[in-house]
Amino acid sequence: MTTTEISLMAHLMRRAGMGATRDELEALVTQGYESVVDDLVHPERFSRGDPDIIHPYLHGPLPQEPSTDDNEDILLRYYRGIGAPGASSPGKWIFHMVNSKRPLKEKMGLFWHQVFACAPSKSAHPRTNRRQLEMFRRVGMADFRTILLELSRDPSMLFWLDNNENHKDEPNENYGRELLELFSMGVGNYTEEDVKSSAYAFTGWSFVQPAHGAVPYGKWATRFDFREADHDYGEKTFLGVTGPLDGTDVIDTVVDQPATARFIARHLYNFFVADEPPVAAWNEIPPLDPEAIDTLMAAYFESGGSIAHMLQVLFNSEFFKNARFAKVKSPTELVGGVLKLIGTYRQANPGIDHYAGATALMGQQLMAPLTVEGWQTGSGWINGGTLNERVNFAVEEVSDPDKPGIRAIIDRLGRRNGSTLTPEELVDGCLELVGPVEVEEDTRQELIAEAVADGNIIFNGNRAVTDERIVNMLQLIVSTREFQFG
Amino acid sequence: MPQPYALLRAGFPYLKTVGVKNVIDDPLDVAFGGDGRVYVLGSAPIRITNIDHEDLGTIGDRSFGVDYGSNGEAISVPEGELFMPVQVILDREDNLYVTDEACHTVSIFSKDGDFLGRWGEYGTEEGQLNRPSGLAFDADENLYVVDTMNHRVQQFTKGGHFLKGWGSFGNGEGEFNMPWGVAVDDDGDVYISDWRNDRVQKFTPDGDFIFEFGRTGTGRGEFVRPAGIAVDHDFDIYVCDWGNNRIQLFTPEGRYVQQFTGDATLSEPAIAATRTRLRTVRLRTMADLETEKMFRGPRSVRVDENGLMWVPDFESYRLQVYRKEPFHLEPHQLAPPLKAPSLQPN
Repeated sequence: MTTTEISLMAHLMRRAGMGATRDELEALVTQGYESVVDDLVHPERFSRGDPDIIHPYLHGPLPQEPSTDDNEDILLRYYRGIGAPGASSPGKWIFHMVNSKRPLKEKMGLFWHQVFACAPSKSAHPRTNRRQLEMFRRVGMADFRTILLELSRDPSMLFWLDNNENHKDEPNENYGRELLELFSMGVGNYTEEDVKSSAYAFTGWSFVQPAHGAVPYGKWATRFDFREADHDYGEKTFLGVTGPLDGTDVIDTVVDQPATARFIARHLYNFFVADEPPVAAWNEIPPLDPEAIDTLMAAYFESGGSIAHMLQVLFNSEFFKNARFAKVKSPTELVGGVLKLIGTYRQANPGIDHYAGATALMGQQLMAPLTVEGWQTGSGWINGGTLNERVNFAVEEVSDPDKPGIRAIIDRLGRRNGSTLTPEELVDGCLELVGPVEVEEDTRQELIAEAVADGNIIFNGNRAVTDERIVNMLQLIVSTREFQFG
Repeated sequence: MPQPYALLRAGFPYLKTVGVKNVIDDPLDVAFGGDGRVYVLGSAPIRITNIDHEDLGTIGDRSFGVDYGSNGEAISVPEGELFMPVQVILDREDNLYVTDEACHTVSIFSKDGDFLGRWGEYGTEEGQLNRPSGLAFDADENLYVVDTMNHRVQQFTKGGHFLKGWGSFGNGEGEFNMPWGVAVDDDGDVYISDWRNDRVQKFTPDGDFIFEFGRTGTGRGEFVRPAGIAVDHDFDIYVCDWGNNRIQLFTPEGRYVQQFTGDATLSEPAIAATRTRLRTVRLRTMADLETEKMFRGPRSVRVDENGLMWVPDFESYRLQVYRKEPFHLEPHQLAPPLKAPSLQPN
């Protein structure tokens, strides 16, 4: 097993999930890269392990298949709305992202949450908003038609973009426009007449009025409702197609457009491969790697818009394999990766909300994107304040040698190098076990210079000293510029 | 009280809904004291009320500023505060005992709210606890504590002195997988809701296995993670079928009788609160009301001395109350036992 193989697998797992422990990486390398990718895009092969964020029996029918998963029910027991001690939805989501046996499914939830940004601040109806997240996780790797159809029937989105106010005699264009501009093709690929037709096509797409507000008994999640009497059945023309079109017809037309394939390909590239400029600039600034976009577009059309197929092509491509550390970690990726590294919260313990708070301080409050355009990614994640939060967070989290992941690193370093660890071995060993993290040579030399001051580490000496020196090195590594990249 | 020979079950109708949000928040469990006082364990953390919805104050403090261990466990919950409470029970002096899974303790409060002490320490040894949950007294007022993550039940004096215990991890007789609730009948026998095994087990006071019932599923007599459990003076068994959002009622032999899925109506304070919000009233005229009556995530069921069944409707800020209507029968008041079902009524 080579360092290159480990590095490549670590890259894959950082992008397709929240990273992996060293033991997990070694097992995955043994399994083989393409086989791992195949598993990632087939989450149904693994037990759920990622359940509860929104649970089916919060509202609606009783569960038909009781879970046999290792931790679903335990999460429900300990993290389900017990006021403060359990966890908020973002906290629970972070738990799932770190622990799920279906990491790409969780990551795709995060992806669609970014692309189809929908904040709860308007509706203040968390039960309904959580269902949207459940939907993203459920259909996140399906074909794009299915995804757009689910999105267009999602009460949270319908309310967020006012489609509940889209009546045949008083149309509201908000959803019909954003579906085209932000959710599929992008500006410049449709006309104002198409927007109007789209809006009329979605008239009557609404939701059932839920029973309550906050008082007296809390809120019930609601569901899609097609209000036939409020729907415009008249003839419309949309992107050259004419007829008594409804929302489904609009989506059928949208998903056939090359602009849609390009739009989704670029989003996937931006999220999984390398940072692109903000979405608003995509009309003016060409893709970083046009050939990669073409490849992903071809995958889109050859599979009927299957996102799973696009991801499989993406992860197996050379442009992906060569894009190590080409992305600034999002706050969620940074926090999730650190949790993977330190090995805590493998069980549902109190305090997971701390990590949701941490991502918010770094500029990404999960389930509360600031606008319909989502967050500014890439270098947009970094400013003086958020960088400070990112570094302080990581330094604090790796400071305890008794955290399982830190202890595992210390033990590995001891086993690997016998009784003595030179400063160079300390730096290189820590860099490898933290990521591997690839740092510039100048950075490496600075780390070595720090380590040289205290000489070799003797493992049969004072354990407290050994622990402290390794922890100090880990803290330096997570403070580097390079650690901010994934 | 001896077990009745048989019951004529006239019915078990819904009686009323007690509480409203901001009074009954996140109700986990209830316990009953003198003067009709009902102690509701939840976010308050303990709210005192009664069947007439009166707000009679709170007991204890919620803990927020706790220290976490290296794996996130709450290791420092100040005395008198509760962080992850699970169940509450009263002794004959109306002192309250509350399990807290975060700090592995049982806290004790007087009915007036004074903190009287706390016992329990984390560990796997005899007398130590790992996430204690269910609570039940026996006739001698010794306290059974379900030791969830140690997969066992232990009995202590009220002061926390270990007396006995049984159980280990597994799914065989006398084994458990994260048990939750415990109840004691008038003969002293012990019932444990074996949460992750989706069953109920009954034991003698010495821990000898008597019988079990239930299996995983959504059908009658099946469970998805049974939580709280209760036994009334008729020896009927009530199981909070948490994952199925229902309460199931069983005979003393463990035969399924009926289920309760919720029948809530607006309580008096809920009506008052709603009527102050004109938009809420309007939206309610437009709403689908089908689901609002149903239980959401109940974690406990308790039966008071009057035979009323109280269900803390955890996610709906209310208690749903049902009234059992039984008639005790002597052997001469019904036909002899039959070996098989029959289609001939007489």
